[in-house]
Amino acid sequence: MGSFGKRELLVISVLLMLMIVIGCSNDPASGEDKPDGNNDTDNVVYFDEIKIMAPTFETTAPPADNEWEQATEELTGKKVNMNWVPNVSYEDRMNVTLASNDIPEVMVITGKTPGFLNSAEAGAFWELTDYLDDYQYLGQYNEDILRNASVNGRVYGIYRERDVMRSTAIIRKDWLEHLGLDVPESVDELYDVLHAFTFDDPNNTGADDTHGLIIPTWYGSLDTLSIWFGAPNVWGVEDGTFVPAFETEAYREALDWTKHIVDQGLVNPDFTTLSPDDWNNAMFNGAGGVIIDTYSRAMQVNNLFVDEAGSDDSDQYYVEITGTLRAPNGEEYGHPTDGYAGFLAIPKTSVQTEEELHEILSFLDVLCSPEGINLLNHGIEGVNYQLDDEGYLVPLETEEAQALNPYTMEQISMFGDGMHRMKAEGELPQKRYQLMEDNGNYAVFNEAAPLVSEVYSTRGTQLDDIIEDARVQYIAGQIDESGWEAAVELWYSSGGQELVDELTQLYDEMN
Amino acid sequence: MKALLLQKANKQLPRKTFVEIVKQMWLRDKWLYVLLIPGVLYFLVFRYAPMYGIIIAFKNYVPYLGITESSWVGLDHFTAFFSSPDFLRLLGNTLWISFLSIAIAFPAPIFLAILLNEVRFALYKKFVQTCIYIPHFLSWTIVVGLTHLLFSINGGVIVEMVETIFGIRINFLAEPEWFRPMIILQGIWKGTGWGTIIFLAALANVSSEQYEAAIVDGAGRFRRIWHITLPAIRGTVVIMLILTMGNVLSTGFDQIFLMTNSLNRSVADVFDTYVYNVGITRGSYSYSTAVGLFKSIVGIILILTTDFIAKKVDKESGLF
Amino acid sequence: MSDMHKLHNTKPGRVFDLINVIFLAVAAIVTLLPFIYVVAGSFATESELARRAFFIIPETFTLEAYRYIFTSEAFIRSIVITIGVTAVGTAVQLFFTFTMAYPLAKRALRGRKLLINIVIFAMLFSGGMIPTFLVVQGLGLIDTYWALILPNAINPFNLIIIKNFFQNFSVELEESAKIDGASEIGIFWRIVLPLSKPIIATFALFYAVAIWNDFMSPLLYLNDSSKWTLQLLLRQVTISSDPNALGNLDPDYVPPAEGMKLAIIVIATLPIMMVYPFLQKHFAKGLLIGSVKG
Repeated sequence: MGSFGKRELLVISVLLMLMIVIGCSNDPASGEDKPDGNNDTDNVVYFDEIKIMAPTFETTAPPADNEWEQATEELTGKKVNMNWVPNVSYEDRMNVTLASNDIPEVMVITGKTPGFLNSAEAGAFWELTDYLDDYQYLGQYNEDILRNASVNGRVYGIYRERDVMRSTAIIRKDWLEHLGLDVPESVDELYDVLHAFTFDDPNNTGADDTHGLIIPTWYGSLDTLSIWFGAPNVWGVEDGTFVPAFETEAYREALDWTKHIVDQGLVNPDFTTLSPDDWNNAMFNGAGGVIIDTYSRAMQVNNLFVDEAGSDDSDQYYVEITGTLRAPNGEEYGHPTDGYAGFLAIPKTSVQTEEELHEILSFLDVLCSPEGINLLNHGIEGVNYQLDDEGYLVPLETEEAQALNPYTMEQISMFGDGMHRMKAEGELPQKRYQLMEDNGNYAVFNEAAPLVSEVYSTRGTQLDDIIEDARVQYIAGQIDESGWEAAVELWYSSGGQELVDELTQLYDEMN
Repeated sequence: MKALLLQKANKQLPRKTFVEIVKQMWLRDKWLYVLLIPGVLYFLVFRYAPMYGIIIAFKNYVPYLGITESSWVGLDHFTAFFSSPDFLRLLGNTLWISFLSIAIAFPAPIFLAILLNEVRFALYKKFVQTCIYIPHFLSWTIVVGLTHLLFSINGGVIVEMVETIFGIRINFLAEPEWFRPMIILQGIWKGTGWGTIIFLAALANVSSEQYEAAIVDGAGRFRRIWHITLPAIRGTVVIMLILTMGNVLSTGFDQIFLMTNSLNRSVADVFDTYVYNVGITRGSYSYSTAVGLFKSIVGIILILTTDFIAKKVDKESGLF
Repeated sequence: MSDMHKLHNTKPGRVFDLINVIFLAVAAIVTLLPFIYVVAGSFATESELARRAFFIIPETFTLEAYRYIFTSEAFIRSIVITIGVTAVGTAVQLFFTFTMAYPLAKRALRGRKLLINIVIFAMLFSGGMIPTFLVVQGLGLIDTYWALILPNAINPFNLIIIKNFFQNFSVELEESAKIDGASEIGIFWRIVLPLSKPIIATFALFYAVAIWNDFMSPLLYLNDSSKWTLQLLLRQVTISSDPNALGNLDPDYVPPAEGMKLAIIVIATLPIMMVYPFLQKHFAKGLLIGSVKG
């Protein structure tokens, strides 16, 4: 009884075929009709309104036609129609939008995700490589970042600039002071601090209840350490061939250094399971005294101490930041980001001709002007902020400003000069800006950042996991040197060698 | 009974024309067919109309191009999946977790529902019911966070307790042999209370007269459970089991993903996390659809097989 | 009934009762405590949340998070929307499911097996996110609340279980009603449904919870952010610990305060958790089904 009879199968297959027919007619017609009447005159306006799809991190998405949006419209002379999408599943929403027949003129792309790459390769977006130089502000891009954000040298979007230098060690100031230690400047000095934090009772409890470094299951700390030791940033190039970082001497040195501090008990014993969500708390609670991560995390941890102390003295701070630490050989190497967080792309379905493209790019050009970039990031002068006599930005705290703040347009901000800066209030932020500037000279960039590899997009996660797992197992003492070698071998035979070859070839083609 | 006889009688009649059969069906059951209309429409429009999407398993689907324009790749995605060196390990891990959860987590709500049914103070019963179903509403992120709190090697309460009692320090979260027990334990904690609801609904149909009659006959507690409670929920248990079999290859993503780390990955990787890594993060809808299709085919075979066995054991049970 | 119990309150019976009560109490505490922590945490300060791993009474009591939530127009609006969509959606989905389940329970109905096969097939195979989106778009449902209700109007899993419940329904009862001249719809409406209260209550709960917790439908089908539901807001604040968002976060992203997250979790779960206790009274009222089986 309980199985498909012939009749059922027949009916289901007929249904399926019917659906295929219906479905195909459902597919979006490529290309909508555009009301673009007379093409030849110069003053033709193609878009009365520009629709922009962008992610939002706010719990309450900005309402349509709020003041901030209106100010943007006023500045650009274009009606703006923002389509805010919750960031969580932005990728899904992007793909659904591309599959539908309702495509915005500008789409924020959060990164070189496969969904984006597939569509870009299929010709979904304008290639902007040869256009940007024609515009006053868009033409002032940073060449390195533009290259990093490109797809094998082809530019499919205008990057959203981010700070390049972010990595630092974050150290509990009270512990340093209690033990009379200086802020470390090299990895060797860091070791001494970790040792003292573990064994010299930095919290003054008389008990052996502290550790030095806190590592969670997100192993960015180990990447930063290996770069401080002088390893390449993910990929290096030697004699024209790509070399994965983990194959270098410096990487192994960093690995053994880490294993050594783990063996000595200078690292939290649950480093194989500690959730990154509990990272800040572990430091705040005194489980350990050092974190290697970003300046933003330093601020977050500092805020926990501020919250507890209830003090509003802005010069009072609770964590020390170090920026880049010198390698044992005395050299300095910094761990940079790729310098961007996604980009703004222009779909060809909604923007069909070069003339139309020009109109959109002119619009984006205005957003990269000093007025534009300040408006998108800081809001309306006189409402959200004021400038003091020295030209520093002073945020306003009126009710009006606070109501408007969550409607920020910073998600569609690209790059540009002339951004107002806040006067660094307090020692910690000042120190941060100084370190960011100093460390910039020693940045070690990822040579493969612009390269998009076929092998990596199909097998990248497995390849990464092989090395990541072996690294943790090695540090935890579960595998020895031969186990590590075996993992590297496995990496090469699982597609790593093809990846090296492909990247080398792509690199040659691009240069 | 009458209806069944009627059906039998129909079969013995001489062959009728199609029109006559339709006419007879309509005359006898027209209101039943009218009732079916909204449901059938729903399935056609929202379930079957989109099903042409399954063909992307055989294509290299790019959303921008649409399904028609995307290129055919035949069985490439399937061969890539089956020939992956990890396939057997993934299959093994997936089946282990499914097997354990059917053997342990599936009966748990039945057991709990029976215990609740034995509680005589209505208010207490309601209170317990309300408490135990709360975990269903907490996300896996919270559940995994609490697990870390209790089982952390760095001061977790349970780790300390185990050490005091047994003298061994176990890293429950990292040791591969503890991965499956932890997953099942979390599943039981989160799902058991919610799972009892359906069985309690089935038990609501048992009249108290039946229990009273059994008591008069001198039946003890366990005989009452055995002869009244269990038969009352048997049909529901069987149907739930059959439907659960359809998901044998789906273990869920969030929980396993969050519990995986570098030390336990060898036992933690399952189809759902693998598809996420390869399919979704790599943006390949086609690949995930192909794996999904494989899972569905296995699922439907298992459902129909279980149904077949259930029918052999008890003619009245099962899907149809 | 109590006399009967007294009559047979044997010693092993009492031991069983005692163990049972204690076991259930432990189960209740183990499942309740974490939620109490979530509630307590939503009233605590950031530093306390960071310092104390687990607590059920906060040391310093703050209403900061709730003040923010309840002064935000968008929050109030999304609570109202979510309650409204859940209420209407549950009614609509119950209608679709029960009207289909009842005829499918009639073993003599022609075409029944075919339809059940179609349902089972749809339970396992689906066209996927994008084709479904295109259908919803084609029907003009984008940016309407119907898009959150209709695409999930029948859960095949629920349909099969309800159908099986109906299959056990007293045949004699229906036959006698038929002889009295009632039509099938009349029987369904006046006899079957009133006697199916526990089942209706159960599946009302299942559907209500599913709509309430649905995140994908509002994400895909609502462009207009003034129509957002609670789940979207909830995901927005818990984003940094969402496995789907890993590696996808803007480096400048600053996670919201922990207390705020917990407060939103409370707001987004408490109302739907209250549904069950209210439905429980219906669980004792269906008496007749099951007395005749098969």
